[in-house]
Amino acid sequence: MVYFILKRMFQSVFVMLAVAFLAFSLFRFVGDPITQMTGVETSVADQERLREELGLNDPFVYQFARFTGDMLKGDFGFSYRTRQPVADMISSRIPATLELGVVALIISLLVGVPAGVYTALKPRGVLTQAILMTTLVGVSIPTFVIGIMLIFIFGVQLGWLPTFGRGGTVQIGGWESSLFMIDGWRALLLPAITLGVYQLTLTMRLVRAEMMEVMRTDYIRFAMARGVPMRRLHYKHALANTMVPVITIIGLQFGGVIAFSIVTESVFQWPGMGLLFLESIRFVDIPVMGVYLVVIAFFFVLVNLIVDLLYVAIDPRLRIKDVS
Amino acid sequence: MSAMGASAETFRWASTADPQTMDPHAVNSAPVLSFLNNIYEGLVRRGQDMSIEPSLATSWEPLTGENGWRFHLRKDVTFQDGSAFTAEDVLFSYQRASDEAADVRSWFAPVSDVRIVDEFTIDFVNTAPNPLFPDSIANFMILDKDWAMANDAALPARDAENFATMNVNGTGPFTLASRDPGVRTTLAPNANWWDEVNHNVTEAVFTPIGNSATGLAALLSGEIDFIQPIPLQDVAQVEGRDGFKVLEGEETRVIMFGFGHEHEALLYSSDVTDTNPFTDPRVRLAAAHALDLASINRVLFRGKIDPASQLVPAGISGYSEANQDRPAFDQDRAKELLAEAGYPDGFSFGLKCPNDRYINDEALCRAAASMFAAVGLNAELSTGPVRDYWPQLREDDFDMYLLGWSPGTFDMEHPIRFLMHSQDDERKLGSWNFGNYSNARVDELLPLIQQEIDPAARQAMIDEVVAVTQDEVAYIPLYTQPLIWAAKDNIELTQRADNFFMLRWVSVN
Repeated sequence: MVYFILKRMFQSVFVMLAVAFLAFSLFRFVGDPITQMTGVETSVADQERLREELGLNDPFVYQFARFTGDMLKGDFGFSYRTRQPVADMISSRIPATLELGVVALIISLLVGVPAGVYTALKPRGVLTQAILMTTLVGVSIPTFVIGIMLIFIFGVQLGWLPTFGRGGTVQIGGWESSLFMIDGWRALLLPAITLGVYQLTLTMRLVRAEMMEVMRTDYIRFAMARGVPMRRLHYKHALANTMVPVITIIGLQFGGVIAFSIVTESVFQWPGMGLLFLESIRFVDIPVMGVYLVVIAFFFVLVNLIVDLLYVAIDPRLRIKDVS
Repeated sequence: MSAMGASAETFRWASTADPQTMDPHAVNSAPVLSFLNNIYEGLVRRGQDMSIEPSLATSWEPLTGENGWRFHLRKDVTFQDGSAFTAEDVLFSYQRASDEAADVRSWFAPVSDVRIVDEFTIDFVNTAPNPLFPDSIANFMILDKDWAMANDAALPARDAENFATMNVNGTGPFTLASRDPGVRTTLAPNANWWDEVNHNVTEAVFTPIGNSATGLAALLSGEIDFIQPIPLQDVAQVEGRDGFKVLEGEETRVIMFGFGHEHEALLYSSDVTDTNPFTDPRVRLAAAHALDLASINRVLFRGKIDPASQLVPAGISGYSEANQDRPAFDQDRAKELLAEAGYPDGFSFGLKCPNDRYINDEALCRAAASMFAAVGLNAELSTGPVRDYWPQLREDDFDMYLLGWSPGTFDMEHPIRFLMHSQDDERKLGSWNFGNYSNARVDELLPLIQQEIDPAARQAMIDEVVAVTQDEVAYIPLYTQPLIWAAKDNIELTQRADNFFMLRWVSVN
């Protein structure tokens, strides 16, 4: 098992290197950082001097080698835009993105799983048809439109919830959390729903399909014939078996939730990594963009690893295979 | 941290961009200079109507016997940390701001020496007579020498941050209470400010909101008191609601089309590839006559723009009253001119425009392209974000392009220096004259304009430059860009033409 984890971690270094390489080769097409860093009155000579100082005239391979070399030494560089250390900028934005992603995931599970079970057990019910229709609409509307609709309904018209930012936050050992204050939760709700809608639909449809599949299997029919109470049958025997593939898929999707929170963060001015990335693109802040992409690649690798481990933990059959 | 406990005088505002740094000399950009003018002060400052008035200097006069200016400094001014303001701080700030590491150093190109006369008198020696020098340093902000030295911030941060990137010590009406870059920045009034206080703000909270729909929602839901700017298409939304108002003014920025004057051939033409028709002034004039600004104003700008005849709007010093007509919308004349120039059937060319720099820039270019097409000038439009756009213009990758210019010194000399003088990297002239429009007379007049003390003689020379460049259609000036801000009804504030927002003129009623 330890060997397996080590092997995966080792592989992840290559994934991150590949991402960094791809990102770096694209940065040249994003624009020129110097024109963003200097004012209109700055002379061409001064611009050239700055370009030279930042090493932007160096060949691509050399710039890439310097970037990865510094990263391996733990030096993440400084932002072109704010001149702050990139490591501090990104790490201070991680809590906001992670909390948003986790709460979105929890919302999608809390609503998606029961809805999936219900629609599987009552496939022809009126409510089922209504749920299926609504989620289809929900998943078809782009995220930013959902976000703006929610803002205008609950923020502007009803005035119940804040329209932007994180609200009240508490510092816990360097982790700035929204989860310990009412204000923080109020601010978190709309962006988390926005980010979770797609996940919710996916979860529900997965649970529904799996559940219908499981309900047709022999052991369920046999249990039914034996007179196991329906409640126990649905929620213990059927649902437990349904969840194995569902957890895998949802887990794998979580990396995507973190990576694609960019849109939600922009709509709600949510100060997470995604918003930082967006600001950095606008400014051609190459050091921040590079580190962000590598960090996101690392998240993907990490989530995949955890899912693999969870899979083994949940499904006893895999453990037996592992031993043999 | 808590949003509770908000009293009536807490003022919350938002803008699209966060100031990148709190260092007044590191970056020469409007969001930074505008924000820091609340915290730091210069020797002179601009009033509500943009006029120059005393600030840390109480008076100034030209030096006798040499070129330059003597500034008499205000006494009994203290920095926010309590230390006294003296000529030493001015000298130090000059050295800091004119260093290679400072992006604002171009302001000091005409300065050859700075000398302390006594504790409250300082001389700025200029290389040539420079009547506008005091006006040109309104954004030159003074920081405390001892504070900067003690905190290792003797020079602006270039590639790494330093103490002054995140901390301040100015003499201005407000001081920094907290800063979380890109998230929120809080300012508190400076109790020891030397000037009469005209605001009633006890706490000011700034949040950058990049997404304009989010910014509008934040205003309409009451979470912020003021936002700068709002998109034109949202004006009706704000005006239609009780308790909110739209503040409209005119920015000093003139939007114009420029040409590749020195290009030998068109780059993006499908029919004329061996020559550049835009080198013929008749073709440039034809393009000017093809534009129907009244329709552009009505359809794209809801009637909020003012047509421009020259590169600064009326009211800016040096504006040429003698040349305030612009080419009328006249399609027949445009076709005639094209025929005279040898292009009776017109020709095609490439038009470059940014899509995130000026208000409705892309829509403007689409409209202009179809108006050009109506007289036979078939514009092949390509648009892109500004981070890509400037490099393309620098590489001469255009036939015609869109540009907006706001005169940093609020004087006509500024666009003459940057846009009309021939490109001269050595002397740092014509650096935004992408098409390299070049006229010997204009080049000859610029230094004379810069040095002329007599206002009438100076204006006569400016009038000549404007007349020449209009005659040759160096650019097609289009209009002055509107400034559109929105606020709650109970907020009183001043909308200055340079798009700077000053907290010292805010009152929350």
